Amino acid sequence: MNKKQRTINLIAFLAIFGIIIFWLLQGAEIFTKTKVLIDQTSELDKMLGVKNEVWVDKFILGLDYSVVAIVIILILTYILNNLIKNKRKESQ
Amino acid sequence: MKLFQISFLLIAFSLTTLAQGFNVASSGEKTFNFTDKGKRNQASFFSTTPLEDITGLTNDINGKVSFNISDIKTLKGELSVSTASIKTGIDLRDEHLRDADWLDAAKYPDIKFTITEVKDVKKLADNRLQIKFSGDFTLKGVTKKITGDATLTYLVESEQTKQRAPGDLLGVQAKFKVNLSDFGVKNKVIGQKVAEVVEVSVNMVGSSAM
Repeated sequence: MNKKQRTINLIAFLAIFGIIIFWLLQGAEIFTKTKVLIDQTSELDKMLGVKNEVWVDKFILGLDYSVVAIVIILILTYILNNLIKNKRKESQ
Repeated sequence: MKLFQISFLLIAFSLTTLAQGFNVASSGEKTFNFTDKGKRNQASFFSTTPLEDITGLTNDINGKVSFNISDIKTLKGELSVSTASIKTGIDLRDEHLRDADWLDAAKYPDIKFTITEVKDVKKLADNRLQIKFSGDFTLKGVTKKITGDATLTYLVESEQTKQRAPGDLLGVQAKFKVNLSDFGVKNKVIGQKVAEVVEVSVNMVGSSAM
């Protein structure tokens, strides 16, 4: 493994690590969400015995998109590693 | 004299048990409109799947109920939500929800509930009642009788209530269960098996002046 390959592998590892951390920080959801429920219950709502929630646009990364992103990174890393390996063979 | 006393007690007992209603500063027959331009009313369903719990929620509720303030058992009314407005937090799943297999929003644009009976009234406070209700629930063109529990809260118009809407306000928190197969709904959403019975919750405020 040469320096270029090591750099590519390190970048891939950091990207995958970043995706996993981001996914965990966003609540480790199974499915990616495009909206979240926000509680807007007011004092008057409480007096009336009701709650008030509304959908708000927000992207929450799920395991589904995370896995797809990780697989793409792994495939790209494999392809780049092979390209560099082949170039080295050709130059020799 | 004794007969008079017994008769008086019986009448008093009948009045308290048969005609249970709100003990508030308003009286008579009132109609409450639940169409809120601010879209603060909500109807939601909750279901479990092996992978995650699904909450579907809409803020698009329309309808009216009428009743005599001193007798909640006179309550009658019809409420509806627009099928296409129900959202679950995932756009793709919402599209699937509107499909013909599920709610078929194109063919059945509204989900309706007509309240036909109120019973088992329990007074929690002068302005708060707990009731059992039943009515005709129409989903995907199929109408079935459904029963549920509700808590009703009455607030007479004040400076605070005017912030929400003019007139007296009626807060309704209701819950009932719906068996999906009874209404021809295939209980699968994007490959996930949804529970056969979903719990429907309604939180809404109606105004007597709208």
